Amino acid sequence: MDAYLDGELDPITSQKVEQHLRDCPKCEQAYEVETAMAHAIGQAAPYYKAPPELRERIQVSLRETIGASTSRGAEGGGSMPVRRPEAVRGVFFDMPWNWLALAAAIALAAIVASSFLPKPWQPGAEQFLATQLIASHVRSLMADHLTDVASSDQHTVKPWLDVKLDFAAPVVDLSGDGFPLIGGRLDYLDNHSAAALVYQRRKHFINLFIWPTTPVDGKEQKIVEREGYHLVHWIDGDFTYWAVSDVSVGDLQNFQRLFGKQLAAH
Amino acid sequence: MATTLEAEYVFGAEDLGSRAKVVKFAVFQRHEEQGEAQEHELASFEAMMLPHLDAAHNLARWLMRNEQDAQDVVQEAYLRAFKSFSGFHGSNGRAWLLTIVRNTSYTLLKKNRAADLTTPFDEEIHASDRESVSPAAILEHAEDAELMKNAMNGLPAEFREILTLRHQEELSYQEIGEMLKIPVGTVMSRLARARAKLREYLASQMSQEK
Repeated sequence: MDAYLDGELDPITSQKVEQHLRDCPKCEQAYEVETAMAHAIGQAAPYYKAPPELRERIQVSLRETIGASTSRGAEGGGSMPVRRPEAVRGVFFDMPWNWLALAAAIALAAIVASSFLPKPWQPGAEQFLATQLIASHVRSLMADHLTDVASSDQHTVKPWLDVKLDFAAPVVDLSGDGFPLIGGRLDYLDNHSAAALVYQRRKHFINLFIWPTTPVDGKEQKIVEREGYHLVHWIDGDFTYWAVSDVSVGDLQNFQRLFGKQLAAH
Repeated sequence: MATTLEAEYVFGAEDLGSRAKVVKFAVFQRHEEQGEAQEHELASFEAMMLPHLDAAHNLARWLMRNEQDAQDVVQEAYLRAFKSFSGFHGSNGRAWLLTIVRNTSYTLLKKNRAADLTTPFDEEIHASDRESVSPAAILEHAEDAELMKNAMNGLPAEFREILTLRHQEELSYQEIGEMLKIPVGTVMSRLARARAKLREYLASQMSQEK
């Protein structure tokens, strides 16, 4: 029963358990208590978010570790790079000044230019899209970036998006199914603008990116896992959908199914 | 990256002013390459791991049961993680980071007080009157945040961690098994025992209130 509760049973066994619960009041009662417990741990027990100063503290200490092993960093001032000038001076000392200046200028130009050149690693188009989607998802979770229009009312979110975008993105509310709508956001992905709908699943957020399907968009449904995030892609009608979140693949697929169902009901 | 590069540019341009400094600049170039590789690694580490900061903090907070220790653990865990980041090739960064947070927590717990890990749950107290309380009444109390917090904190560390990993972080049985290095069957049974203990604790709290 615990595996059933945790949603980790295969569909057939799961159905058997369901059937049994319907027939056996005692088990059903026990199941209700267990569900409530699981729910309470997720909802009532506090979730301790990290205070902002902890993030800063970690970032500072990480920089200290690399500062200690290299000559970089503003704190190091100019003192560390000049530690060994004598040795180098032996090599360059007799060179005329203008040659040194030229060499330095070339080195400098190389550094500046290298930053504008494309990276040697060219990811496939889809990998690149996945990276963009995850990046947008992560960015949206950073301070106050989640929504441009915060509303759980689809009749507020949809008109707002319709005005800003050149297409009418479908918006449905799934709060009855455990995926409340939090709001909407504008985004720019893969060289076109996109609507991002934000849904919540317990303590987690789901970003649903929507744009009108273009010829380059994959037609098949797709599930991608990267860096601890799950991406589910599907196409429905004229639109391409990408759902991104750190909830389980099962939850995301469930979300996709419910979204499709609600949309069809409209 | 853009800002550091700009800074380098300024640094270089200034130093063209005198001969001695030009030499300095040439030396600086070599250190530059090393430093840049490390900064690049740090940037990708942060991009991958900082989004999981809340999860890391939450786990540490439940394991350590106080804020100061939790923050120390998380900071230490991030430093450890960065050191071994080059050896990390998996796709599940969150589970990887949480494993390190957990190990760091246990190291500190053991150092602080070996007792905490071994103190058996007080079956006598918490098991009392469990039959006399209705499920409905438990449900009602399960929504009480303060009571839930105390109940969770009353559990042994291994129960606290498995409850938060499963019901707050929503990791799968398999992910938890890999993290705790135990078989999936053990994950299930431990989780069931943890929930049962929590329920008993709530029940005992309620009978005390009467």
